[in-house]
Amino acid sequence: MLAKREDMILDELRSIVGKDNATAAKHIRYAYSYDLSFVKPKLPDYVVMATTVEQVQGIMKLANREKIPVVPFTAGTNIGGLCIPERGGILLDLKRMNKILRLDTESHYAVIEPGVSHAKLATELYKHNLRWSWPVGPPSACSASCAISHGIGGLSGRYGLNSEEITSMEVVLPTGELVRAGSCAIQEDAWHSVLPLPQLDGLFKGWLGTTGVVTKLGLRVHPIPPVLKVFTVSTRNIEDMVSYVFNLGNYEICDDLTAVSWWLAQVPIPYPYTPKPDDTPEWFCFGTTFSWTEKEKEAREEIWQNVLKEEQNKGTSIEYAEYPEEALRARTQLPSQIVGSTKNYTKMAGGGISWPGTFTPVNKWAPVYNKWKDILIEHNLSPAVRVTNYRGVHYGMLRAMIPFNKKSSAETENARKAIVECLKVDLDAGGIPYKPPVDFAVEINKRAHPGYLSLLKQVKKLLDPNDIMNPGKLGI
Amino acid sequence: MKWEISTLEELEDKIWRCTACGNCKTAYKFGPPPAFGEICPAGVEFGFDGMMASKGKIAFARGILDGELEWTEDFLDAVYKCTVCGGCQNQCELDHKPFIPEIIEAMRRKAVAEGAGPMPSQKKISQSLSAYNNPYQGPRRVRTDWTRPFKKAKKPIKNINKEPADILYYVGCTGAFNLPARGVPTATASIFQKLGLDFGILGENEICCGSTAMRIGDAEEFKRVAEANLEMFQRLHEEKGVNTIVTSCAGCYRAIKKDYILAADYDKIMNGIRVVHTVDLLNGLFQEGKLKFSGELPMKVTYHDPCHTGRHLNKFEIDEDGSKLWKGAYVGLNEEDCLYDVPRELLKAIPGIEFTEMERIRDNSYCCGGGGGVMTGYGDWAAKNASRRIEEGMATGAEHMVSICPFCHYNLNEGSKRIKSDMQLYDLVELLDQVIPEPE
Repeated sequence: MLAKREDMILDELRSIVGKDNATAAKHIRYAYSYDLSFVKPKLPDYVVMATTVEQVQGIMKLANREKIPVVPFTAGTNIGGLCIPERGGILLDLKRMNKILRLDTESHYAVIEPGVSHAKLATELYKHNLRWSWPVGPPSACSASCAISHGIGGLSGRYGLNSEEITSMEVVLPTGELVRAGSCAIQEDAWHSVLPLPQLDGLFKGWLGTTGVVTKLGLRVHPIPPVLKVFTVSTRNIEDMVSYVFNLGNYEICDDLTAVSWWLAQVPIPYPYTPKPDDTPEWFCFGTTFSWTEKEKEAREEIWQNVLKEEQNKGTSIEYAEYPEEALRARTQLPSQIVGSTKNYTKMAGGGISWPGTFTPVNKWAPVYNKWKDILIEHNLSPAVRVTNYRGVHYGMLRAMIPFNKKSSAETENARKAIVECLKVDLDAGGIPYKPPVDFAVEINKRAHPGYLSLLKQVKKLLDPNDIMNPGKLGI
Repeated sequence: MKWEISTLEELEDKIWRCTACGNCKTAYKFGPPPAFGEICPAGVEFGFDGMMASKGKIAFARGILDGELEWTEDFLDAVYKCTVCGGCQNQCELDHKPFIPEIIEAMRRKAVAEGAGPMPSQKKISQSLSAYNNPYQGPRRVRTDWTRPFKKAKKPIKNINKEPADILYYVGCTGAFNLPARGVPTATASIFQKLGLDFGILGENEICCGSTAMRIGDAEEFKRVAEANLEMFQRLHEEKGVNTIVTSCAGCYRAIKKDYILAADYDKIMNGIRVVHTVDLLNGLFQEGKLKFSGELPMKVTYHDPCHTGRHLNKFEIDEDGSKLWKGAYVGLNEEDCLYDVPRELLKAIPGIEFTEMERIRDNSYCCGGGGGVMTGYGDWAAKNASRRIEEGMATGAEHMVSICPFCHYNLNEGSKRIKSDMQLYDLVELLDQVIPEPE
C-alpha cells in the first residue's frame, strides 16, 4: 500500500534533518499556531528544525518540488503574526542554528546564524565592550530576524534601523539555491559591507520571510562609551513634544530619542482605557546619550539645556521631568527580561498585544496621534503611543502598543478593528507600517503605485516561482 | 481533609495571561556584565517550541482547554517530558508566573484523572506508593537499613514512636532506599548525634512525603500520604514533644513546605511545628558558634542548587483583591526561604575547601534533570541532563560537586558515570560530617 503523501513528505523531511527534528504531531504544531498578536491561529502541517545550511537547502528543494509553503521561524516574538502560517506547510524552526560564527573586535562586526538570540549576542559582545541596537523584545528573540525585518533598538537614534547595520548575508532561496549578498559574495571570508555592490540584501530585508531563508548575517556592532546621561522632559501635548524632538534631533547627539504618551509611560498600559489625570503632562521624552568622557557628556548636556531653553522661550509646555527609575532602566538596560516580557504593556489586559507600528515623518506625528487618540478611546483602548527618531529628524517610528484580553474573541476583534483603523490614518498621512500583519498589507497594497505592486510581484516570482515562502504575507 | 489543589480549568485565567513572548526560553540577566544560559532541559533536548519552557507548556494547556488537543500517546509523552524545575518560571514577568509549575502539574493531574497519565513507566511510582508507601518498591523493613552502623556502634537513633524528642528527622525515601544516596541520612544522623541534638526518626513507620506522586499528577495518592503525614506530625507534636521537623531531602522539604500548605487545615495542624532543611538547622548552630570544625578537607568543589530548595521556595506576592495593582496581578517575589546562601556559607566555612561557582547558579541553576518524574519516566534523558550539569561543573576546574538533595545526588552521579567523568558527588552533610568532631 502506498503511504499517504503527508507521510512521505514527513519521511523525507526526517531524512534531511533526522527523525527527532521533524514532526507532524498536532501538539507541536499547535504551539506554533499563534503568537502575541490579534492574528487568528493557524496550524502548520509540519514543524522542522534545521541545524545546517545544507539541511535548509534540502528542505527548500523538497518544498519547492512539492509546492509546500515554508514559514521561517526563529523565536516568533514579532507583533505581526509573521510566523503564523497562512496556508499551512512547513514551519522551519531555525533556533538551533545559533552559532556566533565570527566576532571581529577590531573591525566591529559579527557574523551570526539566524538562531542567535539577543541574550547570547549581548553576552558575547559585552566581553569586548561592544553592543548592538537592542530592541525591547525578549532577550530570547533573535537578532538576525530583528535586523532583516527592519527592527529598531536603543541605538536607532544614532545609527538608524537594525537593517542598516547589515554588512553581508548568505541566503537559501526558495528553490534551494545558496546565494550571497555583500562583500562575502565576492570574497568568501569578507563580511564587512554590503556596499558598494548593488544592494542585493534588499531582496531579503522587509520581505517578511517571503523571499528566502537567511542562514548567515553580518552585523555592524559598536563600542560602549562609559558615560550615560539621559535627558528627560515632559509636555502637555504632542505638538510641543514634536517641536522639542525636531529641535534636539537636529543635533544628532542621542543614541535614542524617544517620547511616550502618558498611557505608555504607565506600568502597565491601562486596560481598558483610563483617562489621564488633568494635572499630568501627556508626553514624556528621554534622550539617551553615551559619552566617552565627562567633558563630552557636558558638551551634550549644554546642547540639551540650550534646546530646552529655546523651547521654553517659544512658550511651549515643555518642562524638565524626573522619569521613574524603572522606566529609565527599561530604556538603557537592554536587552531586558522585564520589558521583553511585555510586562509594561500587556499585563493588565491579558495575553494579547498588537500595534499599528509605522515609520512616519516627524512632521506628521502630531496630526496622526490626535486622530489615533480619538479612535482608540472610542474603542475603549488607551492611546499608548511611542515616537522615536531614526538617525536625524526626517522620519521615525510612530506606534501604539495595544494590549487586549486574548481570551475574549470580542475584545481581540475590538483591538484589531481599532488598530487597522489607526493604520489607515497613518497610511493616508504618508506613514508605512513595519512588520505588518496581513490586514495591514492589504491596506498598503490598496494605496500602492501599480508599478510598485508589479515590481514586487515580479521579484517575488523570480525568487520564489512556486510561491512557497511564507505565502500570503505580502497581501498580493 | 480538604485540599485546595487547582484543576486545569480553575487555572484557565492564568493560562491566558501568557503572551507567548518566549522570555521563559533562556535565562538572561542584564548585569552588567550580562549573563546568558540555556535554562530548560526539555528545550535543550527536544527543541520544538511546544516542548520548551513555559511558553510551550502553556500552549499545551491552552490546547487542552480549547479542545484542540486530545490525549494521544505522543502528546502525553510531551506533557511528561518536563522536569518541572521552574527555570522557565524564573524568567517570566507576567501574572501567571507564580502558577507555572502548578499549570504543568494540573495538566498531569487532568491526564491522570482522565485515565491517560502518567507514563507507563511512571505508573510504578503510584503502584509502589500504594503498596509500600514509598516510590522505590522497597519493603518497609528496608527503610531502616541505613541505621545499622549506628546500632553496631551502640549509638542507636531514637524511635520517635516510642520516645519523645524535640526534633523529628524525616529521612525521606530516596535516602532510605536508594543505595548511592544512603550516605545522606547516615551523615545527617551522625552530625545530629555529635551535636547532641534531641532527635528521633519514624523508622519503619515513616511513609513517603508524596512529592513524586504530586509531580506526576497523581493527586489522590499524594493526598493519601500527605494526610497521613500531617496527622502524624500533629500527633508527634502533641504526644511526643516534636517542635521541629528536619529533613535532608530537598523533595520532602519542598513537599512539606509548598504542597502540604494546600491542605485547608495546614496552619492549624502544623501550629507550633517548624519545618527546616538540615543545612538551615546546621547553619543556625554554626552562626551561634555551636557547630565547629576540626581538620581540613582539601577539595576543590562546586555547588549545585537543587530546584526544590531554590526557586521552588520563592514566595510570590499576588494582588488578590486588586488593591495594589489589579486583581490577580503578580506583584513580586521573596526569596527568603530559598536556600542559596546557607549551603554556600557552610561549604566555604569548611577548612581546606576551595570553592568555585558554575555559570548557572542560584535562581538560574540548571536542573540536574531528574525531577518531575523524569528520572523514573525517562532515565536515559535524566542522566543525559545530569551529564550536562556535570560538564558545567567540570568547566570550573572543580573535582567535586556538592548539593543538598539526595535525588540530585543520585541523578548527577548517574550523569557523571555516563560521561566517565571523575567528578565525584557529595551531599553537603557528608562533607560536614567529616569535619565536625565527636564531642569531647
